[in-house]
Amino acid sequence: MSTSTIAPESVPVVAAAVRPSPPGSRIARWRGGARHLVPVLFLLPTVLVFGLFSWWPIIRSLLLSFQQTNLVEPATWVGFDNYQTLLDDPLLGKAVTNTLVFTGLALLIGFPLPLFLAVLMSELRRGAGLMRVLVYLPVAVPPVVAVLMWKWFYDPDAGLFNEMLGKVGLGPYPWLQSADTAMASLVVEATWAGAGGAVLIYLAALASVPTELYEAAELDGASVRRRLWHVTLPHMRPVLLIMMLLQVINTFQVFTEPFVLTDGGPEDSTVTVLLLIYRYAFVSGDYGAAAALSVSLAAVLAVLSAIYLRLTRAWGTK
Amino acid sequence: MTESVPVSTLRRRRRRVVAGGGALALALVAGTAGCSSGSSGSSGAGSSGKTTITVAGMPATTSPKTRQQFLDAVAAFEKANPKIKVKPTDTQWDARTFAARLAGGNAETVLTVPLTEPPGLIARKQIADLGAELKALPHAGDLDPRALAPATAADGRVFGLPVTEYALGLVYNRDLFTKAGLDPDKPPATWDEVRAAAKKISDTGATGYTQMTVKNTGGWILTAMTYGFGGSMEKKVGDTYVPALLDGPAEKALGQLAAMRWQDDSMGNNHLRTQQDAERDFAAGKIGMMISTVNSYNRYITQYSGKPADFGMAALPQQNGGRSTLLGGLMAVVSAKATPAQRTAAVKWIDYFYLKPAYDPAAAEEQAVAQAADKLAVGLPTLPFYSAAVSDPVNVAIGRHTNIPTGNFAPYVAGVGKLEYQVEPPVAAQELYGALDTAVQAVLTRKDADPRAELAKAADRLGPVVEKAQAP
Repeated sequence: MSTSTIAPESVPVVAAAVRPSPPGSRIARWRGGARHLVPVLFLLPTVLVFGLFSWWPIIRSLLLSFQQTNLVEPATWVGFDNYQTLLDDPLLGKAVTNTLVFTGLALLIGFPLPLFLAVLMSELRRGAGLMRVLVYLPVAVPPVVAVLMWKWFYDPDAGLFNEMLGKVGLGPYPWLQSADTAMASLVVEATWAGAGGAVLIYLAALASVPTELYEAAELDGASVRRRLWHVTLPHMRPVLLIMMLLQVINTFQVFTEPFVLTDGGPEDSTVTVLLLIYRYAFVSGDYGAAAALSVSLAAVLAVLSAIYLRLTRAWGTK
Repeated sequence: MTESVPVSTLRRRRRRVVAGGGALALALVAGTAGCSSGSSGSSGAGSSGKTTITVAGMPATTSPKTRQQFLDAVAAFEKANPKIKVKPTDTQWDARTFAARLAGGNAETVLTVPLTEPPGLIARKQIADLGAELKALPHAGDLDPRALAPATAADGRVFGLPVTEYALGLVYNRDLFTKAGLDPDKPPATWDEVRAAAKKISDTGATGYTQMTVKNTGGWILTAMTYGFGGSMEKKVGDTYVPALLDGPAEKALGQLAAMRWQDDSMGNNHLRTQQDAERDFAAGKIGMMISTVNSYNRYITQYSGKPADFGMAALPQQNGGRSTLLGGLMAVVSAKATPAQRTAAVKWIDYFYLKPAYDPAAAEEQAVAQAADKLAVGLPTLPFYSAAVSDPVNVAIGRHTNIPTGNFAPYVAGVGKLEYQVEPPVAAQELYGALDTAVQAVLTRKDADPRAELAKAADRLGPVVEKAQAP
């Protein structure tokens, strides 16, 4: 076994001009340490920025969840009181249920749709570029503008949807005005707004599938459905799995749609966990309870993600 | 609730919609909370011996005359008070940014907030007690206690001074009244009359009466209605307040909405309305009546280009022995992080800029001229802060520059004079409004919703919150 501690190609230019020090000497140890120090120095600014703007607030949120504060006087420790406040709030169960419903509906509608669109677009011989622009366009619209536009689409009196459906003798439908249909209406908007990004990622993944496999499948007489099932999807498994995980994390944190379109109504049917956090913090001024719910949500998502990744690891790499 | 714009004529607050900002803003609050100290941040006494204060509420550049008047006032104030330095900002009140700025020590020393905010700010000890400084003000003895009530704590301590105040009332479209065969000079005075008028207006194709229902406005307006039915939302039992939602008047108010919605079909189809939604559609001539504030006239003409001649306003309708209305408007408050010297300087500024035009005719006229030049409403019937001996000359000075159709406000002026002014529910008002939003939405979107059952649900949800808010 070689006793050399520094590979010749990795020796810095300045150091290379110097006569190599005997292994184990103080200079050699110093050089070894310096070699490890350089990447640390390069990383330091990034770590500092992340630490200051990402990790420190997260740590503060965790601490805040055990404190009561008015942001003027020093915070006081209250143990698990803030978590008890959450458990005492009858709206929490509703918010969690609503969030799960939104996530479930979004998976049901919003997850397969971009994949379907991507596969369809990858088959296009002409106009693929235009299609990509059209599909991605909603992503380029600022979220609040998009949501406000959909507020008009859903307007029960002069909204686009009821106007169009009225021309063929259908409706008017209440859309956001009924507790039965409001959440589904939000999911439709969110799907429209988010599908473009997913389509582009799926298109990139589709482009990486070797064309020889399709050609071989075609020669074997495989139908489009069988080619999709036995060639396309297996190659896209890792991307599909990570996209599903990201979608679950994102939809668990849905805020803009209910905040702008319904403010949680009607009858709390669209109150989500994040909207509840917002209300604790900025309507009631209970920052401790808001932090407690934020930490709880983060913990649930972390556990879910870990379980999901563990369960799908084998499938994703098979 | 959130009465979106303030007001006084000097400011137009644009409600900025925050998308997805809740968690981020909370993280910012959390991140900065640890960095803040108990001091007043950057605006303290400098080495020059000057006391520096920051004051929010400078008019936006879209109102150049009133903005310039504000800056001129700052210069004149500094000249008159050489030991005070004023740093103006055009920040408008926003509960979301306030929390983050307070945590980071960047909140302004002087803020103007809607009347719905002081109870919560007092309970959380985020604004300063101004009692001692108030006593030193000119005309302090003439200040109407009713004007101070919205920022007066249960123990009598005063935490804010009035900027502008008015009673909520019935806003109606005079043109739609005429088209429906109603007399626009004799608007409804009772809730039965409101219902009858709404039915007639809806028969013409417009929405007869609309109700704001989201962002706590549903509870806010229902509270005003309940006052009009002779009730209140909270009552004192022993030493503590408890919800009074099931005492009768709130149920009658909610029942009134249910009847107009399902029996008369006079409330249209949209029942998730913000204040802006309702005001926009009202200015477009689509809505006959709604409960709103005097200041909504400013937004009616400046933001929504409504026709001044069509705007009518009456006092809040009363029924079943009711004879009171809810106050709206703006209060000036001082950050709890202000040092004693800053607090004194801040109250001097509030007096100079906000109170002086209410007791000094020359200052009032100067302000009115600037507002009129910016095409803002001048002469709106607001609540006087001082006794008649002080207020009357001021009203005469403002009257020379009035640019509103005063006759359209005559029913309001005549009616509101007979009413008592009530303030927000004393404990956890915002939570109360939030719970009532749900009840109002239920009766307007679900035909089988029972008003009493919905109020009972709201009371159940509210009980622990009200109890916790009063815990020692």
